[in-house]
Amino acid sequence: MTTLGSTLLPWLVALPLVGAALVPIVARHDARRAGGLTFAVALATTALASILVAQLASQGPFSADLGGWTAPYGIELRFDRFAAWTMPLAALFAFVIPFSWRYLDGTLPRERWAPFYALLLLNLGGLLGFSVTGDLFNLFVTMEVVSLSSYALVAVAGRGVAAWAALKYLLLGAVSSLLVLFAVGLLFALTGSLNLADVSARLAAAEPSGAALLALASLAVAFLVKAAVFPLHVWLPDAHAIAPSPVSAVLSGLVVKVGIVGLLRVLQLAAGTGIALEPLNAVLMVLGATAIVMGAFLAIFQDDIKLMLAYSTISNIGYIVLGIGLASPFALIGAFVHVFNHALIKVTLFLAAGAIIHQTGYRTLSDLHGVARRMPQTAAAMAIGAVSIVGLPPTAGFVCKWYIALGAFEADQGGYGFALVFGALFIFVYYVRMLDAFFFRAPVRPEVAAAVEAPWSMRAPVLVLAAACLVLGVLGGIPIGFVEPAVVDLLAALGR
Amino acid sequence: MDVVDPRPVLAPLLSFACAALVFAVGESVFWRRFWTFLAAGAKLLVVLSMLPGTLAGTVYVSHVVTFTPGVSIALRADAYGMFFALVSSTLWVLTTVYAIGYMRGDKDRVRFFGFFALCVSTTVGIAFAENLLTFFLFYETLTICTYPLVVHAETPQALRAGRIYLTYTLLGGGFALIGSVMTLDLAGTLTLSQHGVFAADTPTLALAAVFVALVLGFGVKAAIMPLHGWLPIAMVAPTPVSALLHAVAVVKVGAFGVTRVIYNVFGAEQLQTLGFAPPLALLAGFTILAGSVLAIRQDHLKRRLAYSTISQLSYILLGAALLTPLGALAAIMHVANQAFAKITMFFVVGAIAKETGKTHVSELAGIATRMPWSMAAFTVAALSFVGLPLFAGFTTKWYLALGALQADAWWFVVVMLASSFLNAAYWFPILHLAYFRAPEAPTDGANDARGGAGAGHPHRWETSKTLLVPIVICAAYVVLLGVTAEVPGMPTSVAVVAVERSFGLEAPLP
Repeated sequence: MTTLGSTLLPWLVALPLVGAALVPIVARHDARRAGGLTFAVALATTALASILVAQLASQGPFSADLGGWTAPYGIELRFDRFAAWTMPLAALFAFVIPFSWRYLDGTLPRERWAPFYALLLLNLGGLLGFSVTGDLFNLFVTMEVVSLSSYALVAVAGRGVAAWAALKYLLLGAVSSLLVLFAVGLLFALTGSLNLADVSARLAAAEPSGAALLALASLAVAFLVKAAVFPLHVWLPDAHAIAPSPVSAVLSGLVVKVGIVGLLRVLQLAAGTGIALEPLNAVLMVLGATAIVMGAFLAIFQDDIKLMLAYSTISNIGYIVLGIGLASPFALIGAFVHVFNHALIKVTLFLAAGAIIHQTGYRTLSDLHGVARRMPQTAAAMAIGAVSIVGLPPTAGFVCKWYIALGAFEADQGGYGFALVFGALFIFVYYVRMLDAFFFRAPVRPEVAAAVEAPWSMRAPVLVLAAACLVLGVLGGIPIGFVEPAVVDLLAALGR
Repeated sequence: MDVVDPRPVLAPLLSFACAALVFAVGESVFWRRFWTFLAAGAKLLVVLSMLPGTLAGTVYVSHVVTFTPGVSIALRADAYGMFFALVSSTLWVLTTVYAIGYMRGDKDRVRFFGFFALCVSTTVGIAFAENLLTFFLFYETLTICTYPLVVHAETPQALRAGRIYLTYTLLGGGFALIGSVMTLDLAGTLTLSQHGVFAADTPTLALAAVFVALVLGFGVKAAIMPLHGWLPIAMVAPTPVSALLHAVAVVKVGAFGVTRVIYNVFGAEQLQTLGFAPPLALLAGFTILAGSVLAIRQDHLKRRLAYSTISQLSYILLGAALLTPLGALAAIMHVANQAFAKITMFFVVGAIAKETGKTHVSELAGIATRMPWSMAAFTVAALSFVGLPLFAGFTTKWYLALGALQADAWWFVVVMLASSFLNAAYWFPILHLAYFRAPEAPTDGANDARGGAGAGHPHRWETSKTLLVPIVICAAYVVLLGVTAEVPGMPTSVAVVAVERSFGLEAPLP
């Protein structure tokens, strides 16, 4: 059946990809046009995504079959509630791009602007494709689109260190990609299908086998690498800190979520197959709790503000993985809501940090003393982001922490509730250092003492995002209500 | 009887809006004062407008948002919340006047008054919190909003104090969060509108864990020993902030939280069976004595006041932990009694430091001739703490003693008598120095005075009116609370209604 939703769904992925192809052509003579076009494409994609979400809300999940071939043989795109909740991630792109207009001035040579924006759009297309794909092979393809564009975006700054960081990222990313490809091949050999729902059904019909287990385990490990779960995180801090700030925001807020969405797809795949998930959950809980504490611990030693933010991503991914591992309704709700909330907070923080670095030329705490005097609005946004990422109320981060902690007690794993709550406070140790330095110390650098607020095209996205961090704290019920049915379905399928 | 009404949410919301405007237009002195006052004044008016209803037994409720069933943000102005809101909003107006006078010419006043006004709204939010989530929300917001005030001076010492303050309070907040989550898990609700939420067959061990987590969480701000370490260190803050920490908001919020846990999360009846209260009462008794003993040894005035606060707050906790109607009445009344007396002292100490640069007890010889009105007010407050009849502190001790006897715990009467002597031991020397010793020859005695000697006016009588007027009004309240049950805006009958309805105990004799 063709509905508005299923007609529009392919365009959600096509639009950014087509845009990516157009950007270098449009910007052939004037590099500045690249930014404008990219922004237009991001806005159009966001609008399209909102229509799709509205469709889902009114008539439930829907699919689109590419080229008229029906599932399970054709290529299926599937728009369920998990996919829908990743759609606001596209909206975050619409904030990152105007920010990067002025940011690129003096950061990146003009001739690199067009490739830069084209890569960003490719990245967006890959992310959306990954969320809505209904078959295993495209899961792999879109993941590669995201990964390859990310490697290039890290390297785009062009200095020696950036190349190193990109290479390290690429090597670990390649291992993860190979594992996914291996698993896809294995599952195809076992079931003769690539469609996710179909594979799941066929696995359920067949006897549980070691090969199926191996395939699912490889997928899980691959996605844990993509999500930078401690101790598989080593590629993340450098890559996220070296990249230009808008890219850091995209990588740290959005791209790591590929791993999380992938992990949820593994759970959906395993649902009904009779494969026991308890060992996986036990591992996820331990990894999640360790990541929370270790991310915070490693961040304490950093002086570079972007490195600090990168390490806090590791902690926050820890929250999500812990929530998934706990596998109780509230924990899963909290974890999945945090997929977007963390993205929102982290984009806010990275953009605010980017504005500060852009205006002052410094990126270490010891150099940035007193910057809040000169850039009060940006610094206030940074403070809201900091409070939010630690999960103090009334912010977006608190809602997730509350539900994951509740889920821990619900699952009779109170110890993990403690680890979560106090691990989060550990994170605050270094954010307090940052706020102290920004707000309560006298400037030591003349450039900082003479800095001015960032131009409005950079400041406005930061301020709006910071406000959103507060609003989503007070109105936290909305995302929770949205995600809840999906979590209930997943748990029912998993037999809980 | 519960009535849906927007006013419980209006009170904090108005203050929040004013606080935002302080940040927005604060560079102008006039508008900064205007919005600061409006934040304090509007809240007081809204709270006062609910007072007749409260006395008639009406409880105003407003629901803000629901997250999932059982998890919501809602405000509910019951009698106990109203009592606390009345105390804090009345004091806030006075503190605002004082702060404007005190901070004149200081730096970063936009930030200071902005966060000051934010604290107003969060405190009333805590007073009206209908459930533990709402409580926690405002509780943590208060922590964050007081931090910039504590580190206001931006000296290394202030920053260190700020970090210690945050460490204590946020760790406490963590325990409060765990306790709340466990409550929801065990009882399926977070509400504070009942007299106990747990089913009778809930495992005792789990309940003990909840009790410990919540009391630890809120006890940090109530400065119950051994969780009191942050309070004396946070004394580096400007005096209006100390007043705020000690009398109006922070420590009171902690004590308020513990009483809510005792009477609304667990309920007197269930706690009686479980037997968790006596250890808390013992700890409170210990804190009363130990805090006083430590206070005697402090020469720095504000530190002496800090240890006195630690000791006094445990009166509230002790009264609540006795689980008797009169004990509960004493606890509620002490929220007001301690607040007015302690804030008077802080105001006077701040005025002395501002005028003469003197910050230590040993420097106070003859100060009463220089500042007679201020020292008279200080004397009133000191006598109240010692517990002389006709002063506010006496009523607390009287009902607390009766409450202890109701609970067959006569040794707490001994504790209270001992505490009275100890209070005399550290307040009377100050009075003796101030009244009966000649002032020393002028020296550069203001060696470690912050905001001190240079700013002083050696030849002015008393101090500026913006400092003196709040001092005198607060002292007048201390006397009023001691002699009559009909204090304007804060009648004892509210406290009685609170014992009866909020705590679910039989009405005590007024």
